[in-house]
Amino acid sequence: MECALDAQSLISISLRKIHSSRTQRGGIKLHKNLLVSYVLRNARQLYLSERYAELYRRQQQQQQQQQQQQQQQQPPHHQHQHLAYAAPGIPASAADFGPLQLGGCGDAEAREPAPRHQLHQLHQLHQLHLQQQLHQHQHPAPRGCAAAAAGAPAGGAGALSELPGCAALQPPHGAPHRGQPLEPLQPGPAPLPPPAPAALCPRDPRASAACSAPSVPPGAAPQAAAAASPSTSPAPASSPGFYRGAYPAPSDFGVHCSSQTTVLDLDTHVVTTVENGYLHQDCCASAHCPCCGQGAPGPGLASAAGCKRKYYPGQEEEDDDDEDAGDLEAEPPGVAPFAPCKRARFEDFCPDSSPDASNISNLISIFGSGFSGLVSRQPDSSEQPPPLNGQLCAKQALASLGAWTRAIVAF
Amino acid sequence: VGGRGGTDIISTVEFNHTGELLATGDKGGRVVIFQREPESKNTPHSQGEYDVYSTFQSHEPEFDYLKSLEIEEKINKIKWLPQQNAAHSLLSTNDKTIKLWKITERDKRPEGYNLKDEEGKLKDLSTVTSLQVPVLKPMDLMVEVSPRRVFANGHTYHINSISVNSDCETYMSADDLRINLWHLAITDRSFNIVDIKPANMEDLTEVITASEFHPHHCNLFVYSSSKGSLRLCDMRAAALCDKHSKLFEEPEDPSNRSFFSEIISSVSDVKFSHSGRYMLTRDYLTVKVWDLNMEARPIETYQVHDYLRSKLCSLYENDCIFDKFECAWNGSDSVIMTGAYNNFFRMFDRNTKRDVTLEASRESSKPRAVLKPRRVCAGGKRRRDDISVDSLDFTKKILHTAWHPAENIIAIAATNNLYIFQDKVSSEMH
Repeated sequence: MECALDAQSLISISLRKIHSSRTQRGGIKLHKNLLVSYVLRNARQLYLSERYAELYRRQQQQQQQQQQQQQQQQPPHHQHQHLAYAAPGIPASAADFGPLQLGGCGDAEAREPAPRHQLHQLHQLHQLHLQQQLHQHQHPAPRGCAAAAAGAPAGGAGALSELPGCAALQPPHGAPHRGQPLEPLQPGPAPLPPPAPAALCPRDPRASAACSAPSVPPGAAPQAAAAASPSTSPAPASSPGFYRGAYPAPSDFGVHCSSQTTVLDLDTHVVTTVENGYLHQDCCASAHCPCCGQGAPGPGLASAAGCKRKYYPGQEEEDDDDEDAGDLEAEPPGVAPFAPCKRARFEDFCPDSSPDASNISNLISIFGSGFSGLVSRQPDSSEQPPPLNGQLCAKQALASLGAWTRAIVAF
Repeated sequence: VGGRGGTDIISTVEFNHTGELLATGDKGGRVVIFQREPESKNTPHSQGEYDVYSTFQSHEPEFDYLKSLEIEEKINKIKWLPQQNAAHSLLSTNDKTIKLWKITERDKRPEGYNLKDEEGKLKDLSTVTSLQVPVLKPMDLMVEVSPRRVFANGHTYHINSISVNSDCETYMSADDLRINLWHLAITDRSFNIVDIKPANMEDLTEVITASEFHPHHCNLFVYSSSKGSLRLCDMRAAALCDKHSKLFEEPEDPSNRSFFSEIISSVSDVKFSHSGRYMLTRDYLTVKVWDLNMEARPIETYQVHDYLRSKLCSLYENDCIFDKFECAWNGSDSVIMTGAYNNFFRMFDRNTKRDVTLEASRESSKPRAVLKPRRVCAGGKRRRDDISVDSLDFTKKILHTAWHPAENIIAIAATNNLYIFQDKVSSEMH
């Protein structure tokens, strides 16, 4: 199905709908908000998959470059490792995914522990970085780039900031950090094997070579190789399996975590997927999760869900009399809820932000040619090609939305 | 007909069991009842047209002070009770409160009182010289409506449907998460028969979207969910019908997967056939006929406006994707009908597999005008009167339709206008 909006626009539209539903007459409509949260989750999954795909593409490029540069320095098995990473047909662009090309890939992919595990670690690194940034202290977890970068905090932080987290998952830059679960990121990473994904570490050319392959413990190599071999299946299959591990597709509902809800914290605009009351990264790291097949249960994992303050559509109901009315106006609708600088970094690295351009031009054509009774497209500066800066992208989406919704209201 | 802020937008349409009366509810909490004029030899052409019979204010806006929530007065559903005496009764509901209204006629009044004069003033006793017996004299018909029961405080969430049981003593009301069973004579308590609220609201994955009692079996009812499934429940099996007797669900087609798959699979209406053998469901793009004996998939699927499948993004943005269309059977269960956009509505003949698109508009509703079939062109060859998908008016949506229980008379609600179409050529059933 062709969709004229990219995932990020859908996310911002959905958040706007949820926000405005709070002021609608008659109270919050539970059904509508539930459906909007499904769209949010779907868009977020695609957004993340695009990001991770891009990450891998860049890794391949950088690894290939490094390979050429360091051919004489590398022991053969490390080269093999690089090649192994280069081998899988990770799609070069997000377009290969389509909106949720999730079906048919098979749960076998999702159950492959190794690539998903690396993604899991990737995500852990991301969470780790968030905490580093917000709590301003060195996190002792020795993981891959985090460890390597620990010796060079500025560079490391810079490197880690390349990590493409879902913008919607990031609290607004500098906002007080609320209730991000710390338990799965504690040191003593029994659930996590030694950091194979040094290779996963995004290569910021400006960062030191601390993250280069020689620092990878040998124990990681077989794992990396093991990771590579299952991934040699065709690209669309491997990639969805790759990201599906951390963020199961809707078709995975019945697989393990039988219920999944995307919840929005209107204070921090943190969008999180909650499974059976747990955050999924907790679930994967715990023994209960059959799809991950990973080791020890973390002690405090189950309580992670309790740490977060969450918004859910039925929050106003009888069980929750203490809902704070202050939640309702957490942020004015026009403010882009994403962390601008992080996305800007990513966009700088992404030469073909043309998906955005083509999506927006599709959008323009749709609204220019049709729905004449509904929308009056106002010729304004949003006809320009979108800037590379993600923040402006989101803001433009929201700003141009205002024109359309005004037209709709006037009708 | 004007209105302030769209308070006259029709929100529900329902024929009574004989088809003599047609009730509409609107966004302003009003109910308007139409009555079919008896056919008379004097005017053979205007056989059985509907005229306004009564208008009353059913619900008023309310404010829940505890939750700081305004409760809309919009009438979500009207259901007629089977007629048991000279009076008519109906149930009308908004988001929170159901009311039972009794509609009575008065066409005679007593005259000739001894102590009062014609205007009702007390007479001077000295002028009374003889006694007379008051007599009933005919008067202009007066329709009186009075609220007989108010069923309040039964629902935390928004009521989406009510359904009267075939036992004529009980009825059920359904909100997003719960279904309650009421006795028509008892207002201070109800039985909860379905509760799908999860212990942790974050685990919520689906809500109840519609429900209906079986037309003949007073122990059976069905409810539909936002995930596109139907659950048939038997009240004899258990007091709490959380466990369904039958689950009707069609597996999703993975090739159609999109951002909006969950939205377009949500069932917006479910109706038992008159025979009780089938169920009709409506989701955003299709209507489906289900056989009660087959749970795996519907026996028939009809595309209402599949050309919208590539427009879902825009329809999501302008909220049209959340529109809840209703569906209807004809009296013999051979034709099904549902509404669409641009004031179009669609009919599907289950036997001939033919379908037609018609438009409810002022031009097409001149008396004795014949409705012209319309066609939406989604690209490809375009005929002269075709409407292109991009020029459809999505503010003109037909959400509510009703079919006379016996004859080929249909009522179509188009925003704030009610259209009643009669098929005079062939009024026998197929």
